Amino acid sequence: MAERLLTTAKAISEAIAQEMERDDRVFVMGEDIGAYGGIFGATQGLLEKFGPERVMDTPISETGFIGAGVGAATEGMRPIVELMFVDFFGVAMDQIYNHMAKIHYMSGGNVKVPMVLMTAIGGGYSDAAQHSQCLYGLFAHVPGLKIVIPSSPYDAKGLMIQAIRDDDPVMYFFHKGIMGLGWMTPNPRATGPVPEEPYTIPFGKADVKREGSDATILTVSLMVHRSLDAAEKLAQEGINVEVVDLRTLVPLDKETILDSVKKTHRVLVVDEDYKSFGMSGELVALIAEEALDYLDAPPKRLAVPDVPIPYSRPLEQYISPSVDAIAQAVRDLVAE
Amino acid sequence: MSLSQETLLSLYETMVKIRTFEERVAEIYYEGKTPVFDIAAGPVPGEMHLYSGQEAVAAGVCAHLRPDDPVTSTHRPHGHLIAKGVDLKAMMAEIFGKDTGLCHGKGGHMHLFDPTLHFGCGGIVGGGIPHAVGAALAIKKRGEDRVAVSFFGDGAANIGAFHESLNLAAVWKLPVVFVVEDNLYAISVPKSASTAVRSNAERGAAYDMPAVQVDGQDVLAVYEAAKEAIERARKGGGPSLIEAVCYRFRGHFEGDPELYLPKGIKEQWKQRDPITILGNQLKAQGWFSDEQAQAIQDKMTALVAEAEAFARQSPYPAPEDALKHVFVNV
Amino acid sequence: MTPSVGIIANPASGKDIRRLVAHGSVFDNKEKVNIIRRVLRALDAFGIPHVLAMPDVFGLVLRALEDAQVNLNVDFVDISLTNTGEDSTQAARRMVENGVSCIVTIGGDGTNRVVAKASRDVPLVPISTGTNNVFPSMVEGTLAGLAAAAVALDVNQVRERAVHRARKLVIAREGKPIDLALVDVVVYDERFVASRAIWDVEKMRTLVLVAPHVGTIGASAIAAYLPEMLTAQGHGAWLDLGPDGRRVLVPVGPGLIAPVSIRSLRWLEVGEGGRVLGAPCVLALDGERENPVYPGQDVIIYLSEEGPYVVDIQNAVRTAIEAGFFVI
Repeated sequence: MAERLLTTAKAISEAIAQEMERDDRVFVMGEDIGAYGGIFGATQGLLEKFGPERVMDTPISETGFIGAGVGAATEGMRPIVELMFVDFFGVAMDQIYNHMAKIHYMSGGNVKVPMVLMTAIGGGYSDAAQHSQCLYGLFAHVPGLKIVIPSSPYDAKGLMIQAIRDDDPVMYFFHKGIMGLGWMTPNPRATGPVPEEPYTIPFGKADVKREGSDATILTVSLMVHRSLDAAEKLAQEGINVEVVDLRTLVPLDKETILDSVKKTHRVLVVDEDYKSFGMSGELVALIAEEALDYLDAPPKRLAVPDVPIPYSRPLEQYISPSVDAIAQAVRDLVAE
Repeated sequence: MSLSQETLLSLYETMVKIRTFEERVAEIYYEGKTPVFDIAAGPVPGEMHLYSGQEAVAAGVCAHLRPDDPVTSTHRPHGHLIAKGVDLKAMMAEIFGKDTGLCHGKGGHMHLFDPTLHFGCGGIVGGGIPHAVGAALAIKKRGEDRVAVSFFGDGAANIGAFHESLNLAAVWKLPVVFVVEDNLYAISVPKSASTAVRSNAERGAAYDMPAVQVDGQDVLAVYEAAKEAIERARKGGGPSLIEAVCYRFRGHFEGDPELYLPKGIKEQWKQRDPITILGNQLKAQGWFSDEQAQAIQDKMTALVAEAEAFARQSPYPAPEDALKHVFVNV
Repeated sequence: MTPSVGIIANPASGKDIRRLVAHGSVFDNKEKVNIIRRVLRALDAFGIPHVLAMPDVFGLVLRALEDAQVNLNVDFVDISLTNTGEDSTQAARRMVENGVSCIVTIGGDGTNRVVAKASRDVPLVPISTGTNNVFPSMVEGTLAGLAAAAVALDVNQVRERAVHRARKLVIAREGKPIDLALVDVVVYDERFVASRAIWDVEKMRTLVLVAPHVGTIGASAIAAYLPEMLTAQGHGAWLDLGPDGRRVLVPVGPGLIAPVSIRSLRWLEVGEGGRVLGAPCVLALDGERENPVYPGQDVIIYLSEEGPYVVDIQNAVRTAIEAGFFVI
């Protein structure tokens, strides 16, 4: 039997569709998520299947509709709200981090907010400073939000179904470059086998996408693809890299991370978010606190430097961790 | 539904309950904070925003609400929650930060949640307005006749969340009533300096919804306006906006020196005590006596005292409980 | 004595619950500022040196002055604001004491009613704003300003020729007049003034009219759409409402058309009226609940010809034209 190959975008919309069939409390809201199917295809086909009552195109009012998602969730619905670009969080951050994230805690556990806020992240196609960011580090920093970042179609479906069924607020970050969109630079890893029946992937379980013994790469999202590409190159040079796809930052799978570091003794964090005060620093701190003695070399970080993302292609290529840059960082790491 | 004796007495009782609670909390608040004011000291630490003077708005609106009608409120939430029918003991215990409080001490005075009354509030100006829209969205999806109400102040009517929420509620024709408690000052900034229109009722037209301004010190005026708006929403007629002009008898927060107020205006405001106004209306109808008024006052004083005793006797949560309740399940 | 004109603009917007039930429009304060500005410029153009205005918490006149570019002086009467109709009455009293030639009112029936309590023999120039008004006219502000200027300068004996005395309904309690209405009084079956509006037709017990006006909307419509009203000009009317009467289907509010049953109708001449029965109840004057009536009180309503003086704006302008007032 041939495997079903779906793009990440299709996998996400299938996950949502299956959950909407199973549970009539689930509905979707966001800008252009209905007739358009989502600017990045995450909700394609849903409007035709479920109608405008459950697949709602909203005005450009992020505070309004994200806040409405919070309110509906406290009343027992299970909304999926799309924030078109993570970069737009600024106009609605209060609702995200002061309400969505904290109402459960502030109520002493009495009120639940079973909501999914999904959003598009990432650059590499010259969308410049206000449309290319990742920012998951920023959201992982504030307590109360589960942070989910799939890298493959298989993971995307399982993690989305898990997110919808989870009673906590979940932020789900899908990279534009992994969606398999016809108008983006083609990416073979954006399409992959996806089982038809619904399934879940637990949060807090990283996935070792490639086993290795010489060095560990810890990463998420599109950088998983680039790390795998770099690993293939390095394999031909006799360097075997283990690529760990974290999948969720909150909760974080510390066990898999530390097991890998204890095995390879060398670690590189590859992060498409800004370098300082984010995911890469957090992982290095964790390793320093709990596995310092296992390291044969200082941990390395390859991240977007602390600059707004530039427009011009050579400039953007320079700041985004490339396959070659990743491979070179591993060579440097292994050489120490 | 005419304004019957029973209704008026019930409104009177609610207002006295709120006033008694607020005035007692004010006294407790200053315990331990003298001689030099230390905001962190005493049995009730932190900020305190009391509702005295505005009772008619909470009472007049909530009289039409059922326990399962969702209400969102603000940093000045006590009046709304009491009018909604909260257990005073659990509320007082939460203000004291005790484990027996509504939120096990996690929320405190500004973050009171009671899911049995579908009540939530918070300290971000305008933050709760979209939540009421969302609750109304859930109600409409389920085809229920519940109504969501959002209380907020004249200051909140200028924040983006207000405008987005009214627009969404109108576009989706949701069963929500927006109540602006215009007490003429957003902390120290008078409405005339903050708001381009002279009445937020004018803003209803901008969002294609019926809007009205009422005298917020007259509980019967509020009651009638709220009745129309809430009934309209229950029948599927969509959202409304009510601006109730009222007076804040105490400062924005406890400890507010109110230097920004014109001289003598407080005394003027206190001439229009909503409890006295209703009491006089009841007496004019021959429906009320001073004995009855005293009996109601005594009843409420006892209720508040009971709540206070419960709060004081209750234990604090264990310190490690600070780490609990971030997630439902990790 | 230098000619002086009074301006009273009612800032109350939205104080009308009928907007929740009857889909009326809101005549916003910006429009009122525009009207006042036009009045000021008309007065200024014809050399009226002084305007006495009512202050209000919304600053309508102050805002009108901002872009008006006029030479005349505007003073404000010294009253302490209560933000109720009492302010307009107080303002009118002061203006009369200060010898204004006329008072331009900007508002609805309600505004003119409270001004009329104190206007005495100073004529009103009523500009209509607000929903379904009977007393003031829908007239453009500049034109009203011209009429006011003509009256202030008493051009061509305009004060005799274009000013008439309106009728009113007087409400008297225990023999003493306590209030008045310029359009109608409704005896409403409710004990409290509360939100002031009357909207439940079922609760209307009695309707007393100063005069029927064809094509009105509001409680007066209950009488105005009867065929006999067309020939009853010059009479007031007293209608008792209740079941098993003559039924009409009329616009009792903007967009609100309701059936009403009329049990009896009689015309009123000046001096005639009746006693208020059915206390406890509330009297709604010109569309707003105003006076509670308690059991045992003796309250009567009667038609009087001693209402406010009113400038007929079209006539005033015509009279001025006749005298070449506009030829310079």
